[in-house]
Amino acid sequence: MRGAFLICKKEFLELSKDKRTLFWTFVLPLLLYPLVFILIAGLGQRDAAKRLSRPSRIAIVDPAQVLEPRLRGALRTFELVDQHPGDIKIILKDHNLDLQVEVERSAAQKLERQEPFVIHILFDATEPASELALERLRETIRKLDEEQIQMRLQALHAPPQLTQPSRLITESAAEAGLATGKALGSFLPYVLMLMLFQGAMQHGVYVTAGEKERGTLQTLLATRLPRNQIIWGKLAYIFIMGLLAALLNLASMGFSLAVLMGKTTARLTQADPGVTGQLATMTSPGILLLCFLLMVPLGLLFSSFILFMGVRARNTAEAGTSLMPGLFVIVLLGAFSLAPGLERMPFLPYVPILNVSLAIRNLFSRQGDVVEYLVAFCMTTGLSILMTWASARLLDRESAIFTQS
Amino acid sequence: MIQLSDVHKSFQVKDRKTRTWRRIEAVRRLSFTVAPGEIYGLLGPNGAGKSTTLRMIAGLMQPDHGRIEVCGIGTQEQPERSRSMVGYLSTDLNVYTRFTPRELLRLFGEFQGLDAQVAERRGIGLLEKLQMKDFADIRMEGFSSGQKQKVSIARALLHDPPVVIFDEPTTGLDVLTAKTVLDLLRVLKSEGRAMIVSTHVMPMVEDICDRVGILFAGELHGDAPPKELLTRWRVHSLEEVFFQLAANGSEAR
Repeated sequence: MRGAFLICKKEFLELSKDKRTLFWTFVLPLLLYPLVFILIAGLGQRDAAKRLSRPSRIAIVDPAQVLEPRLRGALRTFELVDQHPGDIKIILKDHNLDLQVEVERSAAQKLERQEPFVIHILFDATEPASELALERLRETIRKLDEEQIQMRLQALHAPPQLTQPSRLITESAAEAGLATGKALGSFLPYVLMLMLFQGAMQHGVYVTAGEKERGTLQTLLATRLPRNQIIWGKLAYIFIMGLLAALLNLASMGFSLAVLMGKTTARLTQADPGVTGQLATMTSPGILLLCFLLMVPLGLLFSSFILFMGVRARNTAEAGTSLMPGLFVIVLLGAFSLAPGLERMPFLPYVPILNVSLAIRNLFSRQGDVVEYLVAFCMTTGLSILMTWASARLLDRESAIFTQS
Repeated sequence: MIQLSDVHKSFQVKDRKTRTWRRIEAVRRLSFTVAPGEIYGLLGPNGAGKSTTLRMIAGLMQPDHGRIEVCGIGTQEQPERSRSMVGYLSTDLNVYTRFTPRELLRLFGEFQGLDAQVAERRGIGLLEKLQMKDFADIRMEGFSSGQKQKVSIARALLHDPPVVIFDEPTTGLDVLTAKTVLDLLRVLKSEGRAMIVSTHVMPMVEDICDRVGILFAGELHGDAPPKELLTRWRVHSLEEVFFQLAANGSEAR
């Protein structure tokens, strides 16, 4: 194993000489996620605050004057504007108007006769400002309806609770934070897989097809080191890089999200520990350890696949291109693993990669099954061993080394 | 000592025109020996099978038939052990440009089973012989091809191999650097190493090689001291042997 260790050491030494790659691999994720998340959150919050502080611009046609006086009275919420000539849809899109409201001409008479009248609203569902205006208007109409109902009840000498025959009280029986855990469990495997593969891919290509292309691989093969030890050394390097990249990206992403969520929940509810608190309950050290234990064979499987394709390729371009379908499969499986009701499919524990997703998902939703976990673990480990063996065999083949000649 | 007995090597290639696969015999019925303290010149035109032969001796390729022994060790039976006996240099090979020569030699010394400090000491000694000591701690990114070649030579000789294989060692080198390499070859010969040198520089062959083998279309033509070859072919230079072989080859075809 000394040979494998030396090869791995050589790869890390080589990496340590490349300051830029070190920066992109280890420093950038630590800076990027907090920066992007804070920027997006800041922009989003600023946009929302701006929208909330601005009255909604409404053009209203209300000849019976049923609704208009109320809107005119709420100066901070509504700004009544004249109807613009031209296509109303374009006017809504251009932000000159948030809503167009048309109240039935005979609304006053219908109200008196206790008949329903029609309010026709035109809004743009793709515009948050238009959505907000609709929400505000609905609230105003709800109040108007409420007042009318109470007046009618009074006229009938009926109690005000007449319209409320029942009162619904709901209480969740779910464990605290289980919903967050389930959401995290379906999302986390996807991100993990993607980062494990993506993080290892570039480094894997560099130390396999890259070495071939640069003409340095033969110098290694001409030494006394056995081929399988060269493969193991390279595999260890690719695996460690993938794992480091995944953990770094996740930590940075998690930290940014936690800070962001903490801020949001603190702003919304002063006393509630919030989602971060729930996450802390869900992510016990045991669950994290079991997740990590599954990541090891999964990372090895990805690394051995990258290694195999890298050794097989004639150059870095071919290696990169041939690895893309692998990435696509992971994205596809990851997206599939986000689907609800997945845990009910009986064959899934036997589908490679997807069974890891399922096991992690079940761990987070506290539905972990020992057999399913072991099947996922053993199957992934077996596949990674098989792929590593195939890579070592491939490196023994002259056609893989001297593909140019 | 190097011994090749009835070595065959062929490759499968695809004919793009006919879209069929066919076998090309790179080396046929190749047999020769190189004794310790002897420099064997392996000559031949491009595509004659020189590099394939050298790669097989260096353990990078295996023959289809026949047997190759390095210091009595079969390259097929004990590939790792036989590779540890060989110092191999080829124009195909490159250096890790992110490293300094000192770092590279220390690392390759460890690959060859040496202690890191011993490897570094030996490496610096070799760099000194090759007039490269001043560049020992400079990254090789900006090195010229000659400087890289010298570092590659040091890498090949680092583990003190009894067998040395140099494939076109002076290609792309200026006359001064080429002389340094030739001087080193003489020193290695005096130390009793068995050496094979493949080159297109005929004066160099006549100057340093004890025996010469000419490969043509995968077959060995003549295996004798340079002067004896000239007498046998009744020519004045080794280039003329090449021309005669080419003419005979086309007649035969």
